[in-house]
Formats: sequence, C-alpha cells, structure tokens
Amino acid sequence: MTKTYTPAEPIWCAGCGDFGVQGAIEGAIAQLAIPKHDIIIMAGIGCSGTLQNNVGTYGYHALHGRVLPTSTGVAYANPELTVIAVGGDGDAFAIGAGHFIHTVKRNPNFVYIVMNNSVYGLTKGQDSPTMDAGAAHGIDATRLALSIPGASFIARGFSRWSRQLQELTVAAMEHVRAGRGFAFLEVLSPCVTYHDTYVTWEGMLENLDDDPTYDPTDLAAAFARGVALEAQGRMPAGVIFRSDGGAGRKIPPAMALQDIDPARHIDRYNDIMSSYAV
Amino acid sequence: MNVAIKPEPSGGQAAARRHFSDINVMVAGQGGDGSLTIASLLSALFAHRGFHLYSTSNIASRIKGGHAAAYLRASVKPSGCMGDVIDLLVAFDDEAVEIAAPAMAPDGIVVFDSSKGPPPTGVLADTIRVFEIPIGRLAVRDLRRDLLKNCIGFGVVTRILGIDDKDAEGSLRHRFRRIPEAAMETNIDAFRLGLANADENGLPAGDSPWTVDEGGREEHLMISGNEAFSFGFLVAGGRFYAGYPITPATEILTWLERRLPQFGGIAMQAEDELSAINLAIGAAMTGVRAMAGSSGPGFVLMQEGVSQLGSAEIPLVVVDCQRAGPSTGMPTKVEQNDIGTMISGDYPRVVLAPADQGDCFEMSIFATNLAQRIQGPVIAALDRALSQDSTTVKPFDLSGVELDTGKRLTPDEIAGLKEYRRYLITDDGVSPWAVPGTPGGENLVTGNERNEWGLVSAEPKNRKRMVEKRARKIESVRGDLPKGKRWGDADAAIGLLGFGTVGAVMERAAERLAKAGVEVQILQPRTLWPVLDETVEFIRARRRVYVIEHNAIGQLAHLVSGGGAPKERMVSILKFDGTPFRAVDLVDFILEQEASL
Ligand SMILES: Cc1ncc(C[n+]2csc(CCOP(=O)(O)OP(=O)(O)O)c2C)c(N)n1
Ligand code: SF4
Ligand SMILES: [Mg+2]
Repeated sequence: MTKTYTPAEPIWCAGCGDFGVQGAIEGAIAQLAIPKHDIIIMAGIGCSGTLQNNVGTYGYHALHGRVLPTSTGVAYANPELTVIAVGGDGDAFAIGAGHFIHTVKRNPNFVYIVMNNSVYGLTKGQDSPTMDAGAAHGIDATRLALSIPGASFIARGFSRWSRQLQELTVAAMEHVRAGRGFAFLEVLSPCVTYHDTYVTWEGMLENLDDDPTYDPTDLAAAFARGVALEAQGRMPAGVIFRSDGGAGRKIPPAMALQDIDPARHIDRYNDIMSSYAV
Repeated sequence: MNVAIKPEPSGGQAAARRHFSDINVMVAGQGGDGSLTIASLLSALFAHRGFHLYSTSNIASRIKGGHAAAYLRASVKPSGCMGDVIDLLVAFDDEAVEIAAPAMAPDGIVVFDSSKGPPPTGVLADTIRVFEIPIGRLAVRDLRRDLLKNCIGFGVVTRILGIDDKDAEGSLRHRFRRIPEAAMETNIDAFRLGLANADENGLPAGDSPWTVDEGGREEHLMISGNEAFSFGFLVAGGRFYAGYPITPATEILTWLERRLPQFGGIAMQAEDELSAINLAIGAAMTGVRAMAGSSGPGFVLMQEGVSQLGSAEIPLVVVDCQRAGPSTGMPTKVEQNDIGTMISGDYPRVVLAPADQGDCFEMSIFATNLAQRIQGPVIAALDRALSQDSTTVKPFDLSGVELDTGKRLTPDEIAGLKEYRRYLITDDGVSPWAVPGTPGGENLVTGNERNEWGLVSAEPKNRKRMVEKRARKIESVRGDLPKGKRWGDADAAIGLLGFGTVGAVMERAAERLAKAGVEVQILQPRTLWPVLDETVEFIRARRRVYVIEHNAIGQLAHLVSGGGAPKERMVSILKFDGTPFRAVDLVDFILEQEASL
C-alpha cells in the first residue's frame, strides 16, 4: 500500500454543526462501500470548506463560490468518480449564487452538500443570504432549486439529526451514482460561535420523511408545502423533491482514460485539415 | 504622424492598363445583406489562380445593419497583412465611399451600386475611375432576390480584373459546388447579368482596365488564427473547453463545440467566465487536457482562476483573444493590451504569442503539452486580427505531433511507490501527479499554501520552499520555450520588435526600409513570459529598437525592460485607434526618426 496523506483533525469549534455533516459523509461512504480513491470531495472556502482534509479521499479546495463549476468539470470529465461537493451558505448563495441556478439546470452527476449556518463562519460571523431577521430564514435554496427546470434531487437535513442525515447523504450519493443527476442536500449546520440556532431551527423543522402522505415526486406539492410551512414560520426537512428525469442519460466514458494519441486519429484530423484547403 | 513617403501602390506599374501581382480589394455596405460575400467569391477566384490571400473584415458590433466592410488582399508572394491602400472598392452605399476614400489608391477603381443614385461628389480623387452600376436594382428587378447582388457584383469585378468569363464562371461553380443545382443556376444567371451590365458600362470582355497575374502557389490552407488554435488543441489531445461568448474569442468555442464531441470531448458554454475557467480547472484536475478562453473583460474575470492554476498546480491552457479595451472597449477592434494582466500576480506561468495564423496551430500544441509539463497555466496571447483574419498557410504536419504527459503517474507507477506526496519538493519544481481515481494516489489539491502532503500550512520555512519550488518549474522549461521569429540583417543597428499580428506588417515595412537605405533586423517574440534572453540580447545589441504594439502605454516595452532590456534603446510605436498598423505607417515614422537622429 502506498502511504498517502494522513487525514487532518477537524478545525471546527466544539459543537459546530459541520461535525455532523462529516460524520454523515463518512457513514455513507462506509455504508455504500465505495473505495476512497474513487471519491473526490470538492470543497468551497469557509469553515465548511475544510471537510475534504479530514476524510482520506481525493480532495480539492475550490475558489470561494466556484465549487459548483469546478465539480461540474470533474464530473463531466471523469464520470467514474463519485463527486461530493461541500461548502457554506455564503459560498453557495452569495458569491456562487449564479452557478447554483445553472448547476441545477444542467443536472450534472454529483452531490452538493451545503452547510447552512446563516453566517460567514470563517470571516467571523457576518450575515449570509440565508439570514433574515424578519422571515423564518432568508433565501430558501430548496425552493429556489424547485423552481429551476432540471432539478432532480432536493433535500434538507439537520446536523443534529444524524441518522436521517446519513440516510439523506446515502440517498443523494445513490442518486448521482445511478446517473440521475445533481443531488442537492442543504444541511442546517449551526455555527455555535456566531449564530447558535440549534434550538430555534430544530423547533422550526417539519420532517417530511415522517409523513406517509407526502409524495416527493410531486413538484407542485413540494412547492405548496414549502410555502405553507414558511407562512407558519417553519420549514421542511427530509427528501423534498426527487425526479428520475435524468435517468438513462448517456454518459460519456472518462475523458482522462481516452486514447488521445494523434496517430490514432490522424485520418479524421486530416479530413478536418482538408476542409481548409485552397 | 507626417507622411514622408507616399504609400506604395500595391503591385505593378502605373501604365494605362495596370497589371497586378498584389491587389487590395474592399467591399463595403450595410452589414447583413449578403453583398459582402463578393469578397469571398473573389477570394475563391484568386485562390483558384494560385494567389496567397489575406482576408479581414470590419464589422460593427451588431447583427444586421451598420456599416460593414470585407477586405481581401491577393498576392503572388505571401503578405500576412493588408496593404497600404485599396485598389478596388465595391461600394453599396455612400458611406462606403466616404470611409474608403482616404485609403484609395490614386489610380484605383470604384464599382458603385447606383440603385439609389450616383456616388457622393467631391469625395474621391479625380484620378480614380468609377463604374456606376445599379447592382441592387438589377437583383430585385430581374432576379427578384436582393441577395444575388453578390454574383452580379462579382461578374462586374471580374471584367475589371480582366479575368476570362469562362474562368470566372468556373471559379463560381467551384465555389458553389455543394449547393443544389437550381440554386447554382440562379447564381450563374446573376453572374451573367453582371457581365451583361459590364458590357453596357464600358467593361467589355477582352478590354479590361486591369489584368492580374497567375500565382502558382502550392496547395495551402485558408484559415484563421482561432480555427488553427482550436485545431491544434484538438490534435494535441485537448478534449475539454469552456468559454462564454465574447468577440473575438467566440469562434474557438463554436469550433470546439462542433468538433470535440466527435472525439469524445466536450466544449461548454458556461454561464460566465468565472464558471468557464473553473469548469476547465475541474476537467483538468482529472487529467484531461483542457482549455478555457476569452477576451479582455472576460479574461480579467478569469484571473482568480488563473492564480488558482498557478498556486494549486493544475495544467490548463488559457487563450486570450485580445481586443480593444479597457473594459468593454471596442469589441471588434484590434489591440494587444492584456499583457499586463497576463503577467500579473506572483506565480509561475508561461505566456506564448503565436506569430501568425499557421503558428497558432503549432503553438496550441506546444501550449497544451507545456501545461502538462509545468502543471500550471499556459496563456496564449492572440489578438483580434490574428484570431479572426484568415490567410493562406502551409498545410500542417500532422504526423509529427507528439504528446508530452510530463510527470503524470500511471496507476502502476503509483502502486510501486512507498509513499505519495502531491506537492513533493523536487529539483525541477514539478511534483509527480496522481489523478483522482487512482488507488494509492489520494491527495489534496488546494490553492492555499500547504505542505508536501497538500495539508494547509502557513509555516514560514515551508512557504518559502513551496514558492521556490513552483518558480523552478519555469526555469526547468525555459530552454525549451519557443524562440522568436527573425528577419533581416543580423548586424543591423536598428531593430524592430513586436508580437502577434504586428509581425507581418514589420516584415513588409523592413523590405521597404531596406530599399530606402535603412537596414533593420526584426524580432517577433513567441514567448512573452518569461522574457527570454534572446529578447534582451536583441535590444542590447542594437543602437535603437522600435517596439511596435497595439496599445496606449507600451506594454511590451514595459515587459522587456522589466526583463532587463535597456529602456533608453527603445522607441515605442503605438497604435490604439482600433485600426491595424500599415507598413507605410511604420516606414514613415522610422525614416523620419532616423533622419532626425
Ligand atoms: C473571492 C473571495 N472573497 C472573499 C473571501 C473571504 N471569505 C472566506 S470564507 C468567506 C465566507 C464563508 O462563508 P460560508 O461560505 O457560509 O462558509 P462558513 O465559513 O460559514 O462555513 C469569505 C467571504 C475569499 N476567500 N475569496
Ligand atoms: S466559527 Fe462557526 S462555523 Fe466556523 S467552526 Fe466555529 S462553529 Fe463552526
Ligand atoms: Mg456559512
């Protein structure tokens, strides 16, 4: 066995919600028995954007706000990898908000876990776009995602509800590994240092996974439930929406493994060249 | 700038019937009505005759309407740029005449579409002959299709050039060989209508005002820099491209969108340039040869991504088709004004500047391989003219292309290692590279400073070693970086220095300077960063070097003086009005300077 880097110890404050997310990812990897070298964790910049150092898989530390396009590039170029993107709510919905919309629409095969704490933890507690003193919470990215054609998996977890969080992580990973597309999992992951919301958030959540009448394949119902809950100052948790729309798509083989030797393609290259002949 | 000598007439002598071995044609009118395709019909005609070609256009940044012009230079010897003057103008409106007038050769000819009346008076020199033919009216009245103006006009022009009617028709048929027979005949009818009207307007067959040479050139490619660069990337194994539409880089995106999927690759139109470069970074991390491209404002948006490539050590080609800036600037005009951006920031990178359209192919292959070798950004500096203008180049040597994978590790090589550190400190600065998916190669890639294992570290000693390691990568390839193109007298005391699109203009100017008794040597650097010794030596060895560039502050001059070249030997010749340098501009300026010194 080749010795590689020793996974780092988390740098988070004791009690930080991000521990729960890391636990769920590690649990899901073990549960699905995916070899670590077949996984790459793509991280944003923030407290949350250090998770990739702690797991032992391939890891990448993206630019702030750019984890989605970078992960899309990885997922398109090597569909054999299991790509897990992680990051904060500032990364996702402020500096990277434009990419979020387009990524949901493109529906590439990777998991995106946003650790939402409503603050910029790393830069010491400024408000993020999910913070809003008036409403229950600011931007609700699950509903934003619902509004975009192409959305294929939308879920919300809570970092303290660890069993469900692992289930949701497994479901998201299975979704992408089956080639169904982009799996968006927002995790309410409180920042104990700048905005401790464990109690308030837990009180606001309604767990849809416990409601046998809820049909997560019904887009209109998913919207209606989100709106109705918000009116009561509450929000949904669990699998909010899933669609098989992306199933059966043709996925190209890993480009990195293709034969690019010019000699192999010389006839076709010559054809292209002769189209310019004068 | 005073005009010290008269612009050189293109070819031939000023006899009653001029004979051309080098001719400049302009076709102008309102954009989008198809009339400009006369230039491409003429291009096919001259190609058929074995001429070298250079074609460019001047199009307002809008879709339809607005003044537009197409230019063609056809010459027996390769030119690589437009000439000083316009010999033949085909004008579809008054504005075309007004715009062209100052550049018209005194003994030039104008074909004017007189459908709406005679050409404006007092604009053209008296020595210029004007043929008034109602091209547009003929197309609509006799053929019921405005679009057929092009073939009518083509017919008239071939009579001016003294082309045999049968040869002209043959060239037209060749050009339209892929269209349906009925459409072909409609075009031929229009062409004949043009001939009939030439007959009536003093241009009978067999008695033309002008004649043209036979070229005798061997088979070439007629290709633009963007096409050649895209093709080179494909041949070099490039399989992933991302960009966001922007003039004049869009053709790279469209070319690769069409071709890459045929070879198992992808070209992506991103939602913005921030996304584009990061998409490409993601693909590149997996080991795919990737590229991102843009122009001025979009290239600036990509800068954080380029710094990430430098810091995190990810191979990527970034192509910048420069245009007139700053900011949105003049999207369709030529400039070379991003050099400052290309070299900014404290990280290693190589900046290459293809010399001409043909070199775009070679340099694209070189850039794609080099990115793999240095595991970092390789920037290609193109410019509006080089990117979009087409010219005849020798066919590319496809059989000689080799791929260099640098220090990329195979799965077997990794399995044989005791340990693997992504950012291992090495003598040449390049660390062995394991791509995701390889057992035993697990690693952390980051733009943060980190230790050899990829774990974040701001420890001062480590920081210093890492910065130095990355810097060594450039030193280790310095000797292999592309040397510049040189022409002229190696011992000349006067030098001309310029890159990209300026090259051919310098060459044309040097020929004329030599005739005027001023011998010069030209260096056209193909590596801008790092500044190569040859560039510094070139300036040191000469009394004076004219640094010729398309920007307002002399960015190339700053660059080479920063690289150690003596400032006091350099004289800048700058042009930033959106129009390309003409050889005559350089000749005038240099002769005047040399006379006064
Ligand atoms: C381009 C850029 N702008 C600003 C920063 C500074 N910065 C680092 S982390 C961060 C916010 C992080 O907030 P969030 O994404 O919510 O992550 P958290 O720390 O809360 O997990 C900011 C603004 C940066 N690294 N890069
Ligand atoms: S500052 Fe907040 S988000 Fe950051 S580690 Fe501490 S608790 Fe977590
Ligand atoms: Mg946050």
